[in-house]
Amino acid sequence: MNRAHFMAQLRDGLSGLHHSDIDDILRDYESHFADGLADGRSEDEVAAALGDPARLARELRAEVGFRRWEQNRSPGNFLGVVLALLGLATIDFIILLPFLCGLAALFFGLSVACLACVVGGTFLLFSLLWGGVMNNAAMQLLIALGLISGAIGGGALLLLIMEAIAKLLIRYARLHFRLFDSANASL
Amino acid sequence: MGESLQIQLKKGVLEMCVLALLSKGDNYAYDIASRMAEAVGMGEGTIYPLMRRMQNDGLVTTYLQESGSGPPRKYYKLTKSGALALKTQVAEWVAFEEAVRKILGDAT
Repeated sequence: MNRAHFMAQLRDGLSGLHHSDIDDILRDYESHFADGLADGRSEDEVAAALGDPARLARELRAEVGFRRWEQNRSPGNFLGVVLALLGLATIDFIILLPFLCGLAALFFGLSVACLACVVGGTFLLFSLLWGGVMNNAAMQLLIALGLISGAIGGGALLLLIMEAIAKLLIRYARLHFRLFDSANASL
Repeated sequence: MGESLQIQLKKGVLEMCVLALLSKGDNYAYDIASRMAEAVGMGEGTIYPLMRRMQNDGLVTTYLQESGSGPPRKYYKLTKSGALALKTQVAEWVAFEEAVRKILGDAT
């Protein structure tokens, strides 16, 4: 495999990441080739010593995904972490998968419930302006406020728990590919 | 099985070895990788995910420095917490290695 071939495969494996991350990684490997050539090695030798670009891309993806999530806990970056974990998937993750799916469904259900409470509370609040749906306006106001604030509190709690779980998964994944992703002889 | 044990052992101590190399002076990835490849048979490409992870963990930082030829080089430098991590890991390693040697010594 020559330099262009290696770089193309690496780029393929990284597609979907932020451009700045991809450029940064590609620059690392480009300069590795440059140093190798200056060292008197051929492109093929350097590529062989570097190892499988697809596998390297999977590990790099995971590292970048974890960092993005640590910097900014957005749903998009959470998805990045999940995809990275799936990319590293080996037998352990296949075992974990049903559990993770259940967890995801639970979180989805709870978020929908939170959203429904906010919508319901807002409806009760605004319907007060047109006379309200209950006989007792004060009670309706309190119920509406209770629903909304409860949903906000629940949502915040949900986010906190999600963060803790993501942290655990990341730690697990790091240990995992540090120790066990070594089916192929080169590290 | 023997081969896989060796790989796992090496992989576990890669980070410690890189920390140890950097404790002797700042360095760039190509040089670190070729030293590690020579010493423990690491695939050279593995250095980049590893350096990125260590950077995420705050063990190393990077800076660019002009090189004699070509574009500036990215150098890695040990941080305070990197130096601390090295100290801890070396202590653990030495204790572990002594324990294993004792057992092996009894066996032969």
